[in-house]
Amino acid sequence: MHLRPFLLSALKSATNGGWRYHLWMGILTSIILLGGYAYSVQWRYGLAVTGMNDQVSWGLYISNFTFLVGMAAAAMMLVLPAYILEDVDFGRAVLMAEAVAVAALVMALGFVVVDLGNPQGSWHLMPGIGYLNWPRSLLAWDVIVLNGYLALNLGIPFYILYSHYAGRAAAKHKYLPWMYISAMWAVSIHLVTAFLLAGLPSRPFWNNALLGPRFLASAFTAGPAFVILLLYFIRRTTRYDIAEGAFSKLALITVAAAQVNIVMLISELFYKFYSPTHHSINAQYLFFGIGEHHALVPWIWTGIGLNLLATVVLMIHPLRHNPRWLIPACATLFVGIWIEKGIGLVIPGFIPSPLGEIVEYTPTWVELCVTAGVWALGLFVLTVLVRVALPIELGDVRSPYLETPPAARAGRPRSTRPRYEDARPVRTR
Amino acid sequence: MTTDRTAEAQTGPEDPSLLQKRVDRRGALSILVGGLAAGAAAVGACAPLSAETDEEREVKLLAWREYIKGNYRVMTEEERAETIARLERLAQLQRGVDVTIQSTGAQPGVLFGYAFNVSKCKGFRRCIEACINENNLDRNADTQYIRIFEIEDGVVDLDRGDATFQHEVPAEGHFYLGTQCFQCADPPCVKVCPVGATWQEPDGITVIDYDWCIGCRYCMAACPYWARRFNWGAPEVPPEEVNPNQHYLGNRARKKGCVEKCTFCIHRSRQGRLPACVEACPTGARVFGNLLDPDSEIRWVLANKRVFRLKEDLKTEPRFWYFSD
Amino acid sequence: MNHTPTSCAALWVAACLISGCRESHPAAWERLPPKAIVAQADSATAARNAALEPGLLATIQAIPVERWKGPGERPFEVALRSAAPEAGHSRMFGTITLPIALRSRTAAISQYPCTSCHLGQKVVMANKRIQDAHNNIQPVHPDQTGAVCSTCHSDDDVALLTLKSGEQATLDESYRLCAQCHFPEAKTWAGGAHGKRLDGWQGRRVVMACADCHDPHNPVVQVRIPFRAPQIQRPRGHGQ
Repeated sequence: MHLRPFLLSALKSATNGGWRYHLWMGILTSIILLGGYAYSVQWRYGLAVTGMNDQVSWGLYISNFTFLVGMAAAAMMLVLPAYILEDVDFGRAVLMAEAVAVAALVMALGFVVVDLGNPQGSWHLMPGIGYLNWPRSLLAWDVIVLNGYLALNLGIPFYILYSHYAGRAAAKHKYLPWMYISAMWAVSIHLVTAFLLAGLPSRPFWNNALLGPRFLASAFTAGPAFVILLLYFIRRTTRYDIAEGAFSKLALITVAAAQVNIVMLISELFYKFYSPTHHSINAQYLFFGIGEHHALVPWIWTGIGLNLLATVVLMIHPLRHNPRWLIPACATLFVGIWIEKGIGLVIPGFIPSPLGEIVEYTPTWVELCVTAGVWALGLFVLTVLVRVALPIELGDVRSPYLETPPAARAGRPRSTRPRYEDARPVRTR
Repeated sequence: MTTDRTAEAQTGPEDPSLLQKRVDRRGALSILVGGLAAGAAAVGACAPLSAETDEEREVKLLAWREYIKGNYRVMTEEERAETIARLERLAQLQRGVDVTIQSTGAQPGVLFGYAFNVSKCKGFRRCIEACINENNLDRNADTQYIRIFEIEDGVVDLDRGDATFQHEVPAEGHFYLGTQCFQCADPPCVKVCPVGATWQEPDGITVIDYDWCIGCRYCMAACPYWARRFNWGAPEVPPEEVNPNQHYLGNRARKKGCVEKCTFCIHRSRQGRLPACVEACPTGARVFGNLLDPDSEIRWVLANKRVFRLKEDLKTEPRFWYFSD
Repeated sequence: MNHTPTSCAALWVAACLISGCRESHPAAWERLPPKAIVAQADSATAARNAALEPGLLATIQAIPVERWKGPGERPFEVALRSAAPEAGHSRMFGTITLPIALRSRTAAISQYPCTSCHLGQKVVMANKRIQDAHNNIQPVHPDQTGAVCSTCHSDDDVALLTLKSGEQATLDESYRLCAQCHFPEAKTWAGGAHGKRLDGWQGRRVVMACADCHDPHNPVVQVRIPFRAPQIQRPRGHGQ
C-alpha cells in the first residue's frame, strides 16, 4: 500500500532541490545527451568511428567496464561490516555504498552495451529465446553475475528504504540471507571479470594467476576511496550524520588494499622483467615502449606515481584522519587506479598482437564522448539514488498512510545494544 | 491521499464561453483522442502514410524475419532453406547481385587438414589476392584473412617478422611463413563466445553464424593466432566483384558488427574443390586434404616431413602444420 | 555459517568448468570436434571419394604417371599442357582470373611446337652453343650440371626427351627426366608435398609436371613484386 506514495515521493525527492542541484543535474544531462549523440554516430557507421582495430579490438569501453566492475564489488567492503558484523559506524554509510554499487553496475553494463558491434542482437544472450553459452564462456558468467548483483543491490536497499518509509524496521530475517549472498557475490563479480581476461592463453599479459587477486586489491582501493569522497560530500552538505569511525575504517581498508596492490605490482614487474621472455613483450611495451611505439609509457608511470603518492600519504596516521589530506589522497588514488587498471591493463594486452604486430590505439572523439556520457549517466543514477535515500533515512519523509510518527514506537522492547535502525540519524551538533 | 475530483461540467443560464467551460476527466480524454484522430485523418488524407515501394516493404519484411531468426546451428532444414531464400532475395534487392548460398553440410568421413611449406613460400601473396576475391572481403578496410610474414633466416619468431614488406620477393636471407585461421581442434574462440555464434563443424571447420554474433569480440581476444577479423564498418564489395558462389557459413555478405575469418573456403572444400589460397599459390607451398584419408597428401606430409605448429604449447591443436623441404 | 553446501557447490561448479574446458584425445590431429561423423576410411569410402569429380577436374586432360605412385600406392595423373598450350593454367577466384602456376609455360616457349621448325626431322646436336634460333635459352642448369643439349633432348625426335635407360619421354612427362637426378624432389612430388595438385582435394588427382613450374634451362624461381602489403593500421571509417 505504501508503494505508490513511495515512488511518488522518490520522484519528488529526486526532482526537487536548490539551484546547485539543478545545475549539477543539468550538466550531467547535457553530457549524457552529448554521449547519446556520439553513440548515434557509432550506431550509424559502426565501430569504425572508434579507434579500435583488428589488433586492438578492445579499447576505452572495456577498460572502463573493467574498472567499474571493481568499484561495484567494493560496496561489499561496507556491506559486510554493516549488516553482517553489525558495525554501528558503518550503518549510516552502507546505503550510500550500495548506491555507488548500483551506479557503477549501471555504468559497467552500459559500457558493455556500447562496445557491442551488434547491440540489437543482445537478446541472443537470453537463455530461452537465445542461447547463453554457460558455463564455458566467462562472458556468459559475467552477464549472470553482474545482473544478479545489480538485482541484489537494488532489491535489498529498496526493501530497507521501503520499510523505513513505511515506518517499520526492516526485518532482519528477510534481508540478512541476501546480504550474505551479496557479500560473496561481490567478490565473484570481480573474480569472474578477472578470469574473463586471465583465462586467455593467447594474451600472455593477462594470463597469469595474479590477475584475479590484483583486480580485487585495486577494486578495494578505488571503491572505498570513492565512497569516502561521496560520504564526505554528504556529511558536508546535508544533515546526514556519518560517524567518524566509518571514515577511519574505510580509509584503513583503502590504504591496506592500496599497499597490497603495490606489492602485487612489484611482484608483476619482477616476474616480467627479471627474465624477460616472449611473454613479457606486452609489459615491455607498456612500461618502456618498443622502438618508437611508446604511447602508454607516460600514462602508466603517472598512474603508478599517483598511486604511490596517495598510498604513502594515507599510510601516515595523522594525515589519514585529517580530511584536508584524506580527501585529495582518495581522489588521487581513484584516478591512479583508473589509469593503472583501465588504460594500463586492457589495452597493453593487445599490443603487440599475438603475431607480433604493433598497432597503437588512440580513442576518437566518439569514444571519448560516449565514455563521458556513460560516466555522466552513472553519476546521474548515483545522485538520484542518494537523493531518494537520504530524506527517508533522515526521517523527513514517511508514508502518508502511517498513523504513528516514526519516533514513537510504544510497546516495542528496546535492546541496550545500539541497533542501526533505531539510532538517531540527525546530527546533534 | 484523497482522490481528485473536479466539478462536473456546469451548464447553466450563464453558459460560459467554450474556452471557459470546465470539463471532467472523461470529457477531456475524449476531446484529446478525437482531436488526435481528426488530425491523423487530415494528415493521412493529404499524403500517403508512407511513400514506400513494394520493394522497400519487402526488404523491411525480410530484414525483420532475418532479425528474429535463431541460431543456424539449431535450425531445422526448412528454417535453413527459408533463411537462405531470404538472404538470396535480399542480396538481389539490396545489392543487385544474384547469388547462390549453399547450406552444404560436412561430408562424412572428412576432417580437413592443411600444411604450409616454408621453403616453397616466396612471399608472392597470390594467396591473399585470391582469398580477397573468393571470399568477398571488405574492400574499404582491406580485410585479409591471410598474413604472410617475411622472417630472417635463423629464427621462427613472428615477432621479428614483417608482414608489410613491399619489395621484390623472395628476399635474400629471409624466408616466408603464412598464417590464417588454423581451425584448431580445441578452439579457444569457440569456448568463449557468450552466445554460441561460433562452433566447429564435424569436418573440422570452425564457422560463425554472422547474424547471431553480437559483436562482443571476445573471440578475437581469445584467438592466439590473430585469425579473426571484425567488421568495424559496413563491409563493401563492388557488385561486379562479388563472388556469387557462397555458403551460409562462409563467404556470404556479412554486415557491420560481426566477426569473420577464414573458413578453408567452405563453399569450395565441401564441394571437393581446393580452397582459393591452395589453388592460387604458384609455388605449390600449400597442401590441403582429408586427415581421415590415410592416402591423402596431407597425411603423407605429416608422416614424411618434420612438421611443426605455431604456439604448440598452448594446446589448441591447430590443424595447420608447417614443414620445409 | 554453514560452509558445506557452499563448498560443495563450488566444487561442482569447478568440475563443470574444468570438464567443459579440456577434452582428452589420442593423437594430435586426430582430435575430433563434437558430433563428428566419422566413417571408416575403407575402400568403399575411398571409392566413393574417388568417384567425385568436381567441376574442372572432369575436363582436365591428363595422362597417368608411370612408375611413381601417390600415397597409399594410389595412381595419379599429370596434366597435359601441350594439349592446350595457351591455357597456361589459370583459374577463377570470385570474378578475377589468376595464373596458378609458377610460370606460364606457353609464354616461355615462343617456338612451340618443335615441329613448327624441325618438321620431325633428325637434328644433329652440336654439343657446343652456336648462334642459332635457340639463343634465347640461357643454359643455367646445363652449365651447373655439365649437361649438353643431347643429355636431355633426343637426337632422333626433337620433341622427345631422352632418358638414361634409353627410353624416350614426351615433353609432358618431364618428371621422368628430372627424377633421374632429382630423386628426393620426385619422391615428395609423388607424395604431394612438392608441386601442385589441380582443382580438387578429393577424387581424381591431377598434378603438374616439373617443367610446368621450373624452366628446365633456368629452374630458379624468379623474383617478382608481390601483391600489395596489408594496411596494418586500419584505415579510418566514416566520421573521421
